[in-house]
Amino acid sequence: MTNHWVDYKNSDVFMIIGANPAENHPIAFKWILDARENRGAKIICVDPRFSKSAALSDMYLRIRPGTDIPFLLGMMNYAIQNNLYFHDYVVNYTNASYLIDPEFKLPGDNDGLFSGFVPKEGDKAAKYEAKTWQYQKDADDKTKTDPTLQDPNCVWQLLKKHLARYDVDTVCKVTGVNKEAYVEACKLYCSTGVPNKVGNIIYAMGVTQHTHGGQNVRCVAMLQLLLGNIGMAGGGVNAQRGESNVQGSTDMAMLFHLIPGYNPVPNATLHKDWAMYKEKETPKAGYWSNRPKFVASMLKAFYGEHATPENDFCFDWLPKVDGRDHSHMAIFEEMEIGRIKGFFAWGQNPAVGGPGAIAAKKAMERLEWMVAVDMVETETAAFWKRPGADPKSIKTEVFFLPACGPYEKEGTVTNSGRWAQYRWKAIEPLGDSKSDLWIANKLFLAVKALYAKEGGKFPDPILKMKWDYGHGEEPELDKVMLEINGYTVADGQAIASFAALQEDGSTACGCWIYGGYFATDKDLKVPNCKRRDNTDKSGLGLYPKWAFSWPVNRRIVYNRASCDPAGNPWDPSRTLVKWDAAASKWITNDVPDFAAVDAKTKEPNPPEKSAKTPFIMNAEGVGKLFANGMKEGPFPEHYEPIETPIQNPLSKQQNNPLATKRRGGFSFLAPVGSPDFPYIATTHRVVEHYQSGALTRNTPYLAELMPEMFAMISPVLAQKLGINPGDAVVVSSARGKFTCKACVSPVMQPVNVNGASYEIIGLPWHWGYQTDAPGASANDLTPCVGDPNTNIPEYKAWLCNIRKA
Amino acid sequence: MAGYTHLNEDRKGVLVDITKCIGCRSCQVACKNWNNLPAEKTSFTNDWTNPPKTSATTWTRVAFRLIEENNGGIKWRFVKNQCFHCEEPACESACFVHAFIKLADGPVVYKPNICVGCRYCMLACPFGVPSYEWDKAFPEVKKCTFCADRQKEGLGPACVSTCPTGALKFGVRKELLEEAKQRIAASPGKYQPTVYGEKEYGGTSWLYISDVPFEQMGFKTNVSERSIPSYTWSVLKWTPYIAVGWTAALTALYLYTKRRAEVEEDH
Repeated sequence: MTNHWVDYKNSDVFMIIGANPAENHPIAFKWILDARENRGAKIICVDPRFSKSAALSDMYLRIRPGTDIPFLLGMMNYAIQNNLYFHDYVVNYTNASYLIDPEFKLPGDNDGLFSGFVPKEGDKAAKYEAKTWQYQKDADDKTKTDPTLQDPNCVWQLLKKHLARYDVDTVCKVTGVNKEAYVEACKLYCSTGVPNKVGNIIYAMGVTQHTHGGQNVRCVAMLQLLLGNIGMAGGGVNAQRGESNVQGSTDMAMLFHLIPGYNPVPNATLHKDWAMYKEKETPKAGYWSNRPKFVASMLKAFYGEHATPENDFCFDWLPKVDGRDHSHMAIFEEMEIGRIKGFFAWGQNPAVGGPGAIAAKKAMERLEWMVAVDMVETETAAFWKRPGADPKSIKTEVFFLPACGPYEKEGTVTNSGRWAQYRWKAIEPLGDSKSDLWIANKLFLAVKALYAKEGGKFPDPILKMKWDYGHGEEPELDKVMLEINGYTVADGQAIASFAALQEDGSTACGCWIYGGYFATDKDLKVPNCKRRDNTDKSGLGLYPKWAFSWPVNRRIVYNRASCDPAGNPWDPSRTLVKWDAAASKWITNDVPDFAAVDAKTKEPNPPEKSAKTPFIMNAEGVGKLFANGMKEGPFPEHYEPIETPIQNPLSKQQNNPLATKRRGGFSFLAPVGSPDFPYIATTHRVVEHYQSGALTRNTPYLAELMPEMFAMISPVLAQKLGINPGDAVVVSSARGKFTCKACVSPVMQPVNVNGASYEIIGLPWHWGYQTDAPGASANDLTPCVGDPNTNIPEYKAWLCNIRKA
Repeated sequence: MAGYTHLNEDRKGVLVDITKCIGCRSCQVACKNWNNLPAEKTSFTNDWTNPPKTSATTWTRVAFRLIEENNGGIKWRFVKNQCFHCEEPACESACFVHAFIKLADGPVVYKPNICVGCRYCMLACPFGVPSYEWDKAFPEVKKCTFCADRQKEGLGPACVSTCPTGALKFGVRKELLEEAKQRIAASPGKYQPTVYGEKEYGGTSWLYISDVPFEQMGFKTNVSERSIPSYTWSVLKWTPYIAVGWTAALTALYLYTKRRAEVEEDH
């Protein structure tokens, strides 16, 4: 999130799209209802299902799964056509005025593709050459702009032209949204394009889990930029995470293309050495120009005394990727062909939670060994005895390591609002269960001992890794946290912020964005992440002394954009930062997201210094309406989901041209308009179960509330197929089939698209064959296709069939 | 009514604002957790209400109510049901051994060591709340206690303590009633004009406000504003004498109330 949970209380209009906080993030509704009660806030809910969130909203719009892009682009078009956008914000704080290469072509003029498309050739996947997606530069290599926004090649004019194809009628035809309701929603949401009203877009997996999920999120960001809602209290682009510590695990580089703190993973071809890594990955402008300091300090934390400026901080010791895809789906594809021989399923349950789960479970049979680390024996840990499997023919050696539950161990959890909050242990671990830290520590020490004994091909990165977390049975958490926080090498003192990091080996820091989270609060005398002081002087719910919010305890990022260029808040009632002209200094309720004080002279920086760079992480310094870093185009364009009942009504290009597809058992897909699979399917959750349900189905009080797997269908479809509430039904897709119960409910209704009616089927994904409350896994049926930027699977829009069992 | 002069001025209540309930059912789980009640072995229910009714092992549960409107729209509301803790409880007046007691602070509590198992309370309760442990050797009558044990320690009920949205609010009944009326007045057209529990059967500790008519939420409406004891006290005080020797009648009653419990859908 750019903002945070408590900040929801400051919103005037909510648009909940692709999220169901009433079901999945209950505490969100505490603040949404607070805003409704105390500010008269309005709530718009956009979802294929009339969800619990829809039930509590002022407006509900039923949308066809996979059509968020036309929905949101249409809203932007509405804002521009009706002059509802925030003009001063757009001109000053976005790249609207930047000029683009005159050769650049929009999909409307190019059969649904942007200029630069290179089709698939043999083994080479399709791609874009982004040559024409670049800014025009003048003789001094400065980007050319037209602040009047009139130049036909400026971002604004290109955007307007692109959006013109997404008029209200077209949008409603494609999305299935009711026209009157859509216009009403556009009016309501775009009413926040003024200084003193702020809109909040809340999204979750309903937006991200598509072959165009990245561009869905881009739409959210663009709409918020147009309406001046970023950097403002009550605004923002607010991704509600799917798990209590997803934010924390992503920060720590859970994803294969990153190392901690969102730095790119070294690539064996691109980054032959430290100099090449720095050259390729360090932008000339923006805060990322400090990247070498962050990565050098990380290497220093990893390799301690061995890492020196002379030996490139042991950069060569870091594992490198080979340019291939190592995302979730790719791992299972490689498992299937026997390339991956061992697998750690550590706190994850892909037999239930991953796409194409039938093939994934089959692929696990090829493993030589599996280590499952979890609180309970998950479906993944038990894949060898799953229904239909023959344990005798499966040779995989499976180790099960019992892990502690969250209340049996200590450490921080980072919530969606980036708050790293320390949690203390409530009870001693039950049975033989151990903390993840204990397991990781033992594992590393055992591997190290093996290397010490047997040598091996490349022992240095293991034998010389800095690994000193005490000598007790349980590693000392304070030492781990100090390493993540960062410290000065000379005295081992925690750094107060990442601004202290250097590239000369004098600082070490495991994850730069956490710089300061373990530094001691001078007043409260506890590490920042352990703070529990709930004073809130601003009244905006910033709670600066409650835990630690990365980066640098900033609660609302891009907060420079909450003021005009002269430093006056757009809305004085939401002052995050403000230039006090009389006193010639900044008033700061939140930690400023710009240099409020000159680093050397310690004098206040006047507002004009930061007026041109409110988005400090971007090299441009401004928000990007046009983003040439996206693989399939600098603007979002509507493409159909890979599995869809219809041809793309907007262009000849059916799907995201760069969507990733899989081979072998993961390749099965239904053709467009498949008569065998005529219904649109989407997965969802219920509040009673957590993720793959391994824990909650094992909790009798929760299993009692939601005991069995079901498929949600509309009363119309139920009548047509002779299905009664509670009947057993067979649900099928190109991947397989299963039996579950029918939930016949008017919360499901068909959508009208381009004159025809399409039924939608909702499938919760919490069940599997383990526990006393077993059930079919929705992911047995989901397709293995992904977004080219992120490789996230398309769980939220695919084709299925259903019949009475 | 002479029997209820002992009630404290600042006796407690709960205000349930149905417009704020998201149906998360943490109240349902908190109740079982605090009271050590076993989970029931349930099966799929089409409307998601589960267990389908309150029982000796489920003292509170949230009913999911889907209302299809004439204009094609739908409303989906979530209604927590439990003992209302009447101001002048019928169960107490029906109990000739005084196994049910209305405490001065609000809760209606049960004393199992006194109960003779006649189950008049079950017949008497206008909301059909008390449940009998039919399958136990030494059965008791069970229902929500308003967490009288927690209240004694200065805590609110377990269900209220876990509500994430403030749909449940614990406090002094008369203040909650005032707040309920203020909330109704502050949002013209949003709420139904009445506070359910203000006057129903002489008033209850649990008060409800709702945007959807109460009858559509499964509440008994158009009921008497007089408490049931005020009708029956004069008769029921004689029941100990009448009941002696009425074994046959009680057997019939057993069968009737068991059957009634089985067919009961709404509570």
